[in-house]
Amino acid sequence: MKFVPERLEVAAGDRITWTNRDFIPHSVTAKAQSIESGDLTQGKSFTYVAKTPGEIDYICRLHPVMKGSIVVK
Amino acid sequence: MTTKLLMGIALAAAASVAFAQGKGPTDPQIAHIVVTANAIDIEAGKLAEKKGKNKEVKAFGKQMVTDHSAVNKQAGALAKKLGVKPEDNDTSKALKRSAHENIANLKTLKGTAFDRVYIDHEVTYHQQVLDAIDKVLIPSAQNAELKDLIVKVRPAIDAHLQHAKQIEASLPKK
Repeated sequence: MKFVPERLEVAAGDRITWTNRDFIPHSVTAKAQSIESGDLTQGKSFTYVAKTPGEIDYICRLHPVMKGSIVVK
Repeated sequence: MTTKLLMGIALAAAASVAFAQGKGPTDPQIAHIVVTANAIDIEAGKLAEKKGKNKEVKAFGKQMVTDHSAVNKQAGALAKKLGVKPEDNDTSKALKRSAHENIANLKTLKGTAFDRVYIDHEVTYHQQVLDAIDKVLIPSAQNAELKDLIVKVRPAIDAHLQHAKQIEASLPKK
């Protein structure tokens, strides 16, 4: 139960899509950047367009031990 | 409170060694243990949703209901597909006895006392389930799909354990 890859480097303007491949619901949540996917059930996806360079640390709101980060170049 | 928790540990320890002397549980018994272990945490989670005081404790209880229900749905579908009929056994019985004690104890508590005992027990319980997965369920499962399901469930149990530990550490001290 983790984000794969846990760390991802992208360029500003790239679209990032997360897909839940688990049978347990998860979310992509980064409060500081106001990113909130809502609860994603199995097979559901969430897309975010990274605009500003910097690092985005995110978690699964439902399982906060699941952590990931996006580095926007 | 401490005494009751220790009793819980002793019972579960007895459950995990129940198969140690003979051979491990059969697939129908493993299916029963999986369903029972999930049902137990769903019941406790429902209680925490209702009686928990701390916001995170309530949310954790709700999450346990969601996640363990999802696991049981998968387990039920797999058992049906494989034609495995879950079979009651000593480990399932010991788990149920221990769970009844925990629920009975939780029902006598409220407020912060409830929160602490519930979360302490969730930490202990998920650790026990992880141990059972590693030492008994995965090594004993014969059917590849059943084994695979247990392997897939393991990270969720571990995440629950770590989450419960975080909440436990954040609760006000006794």
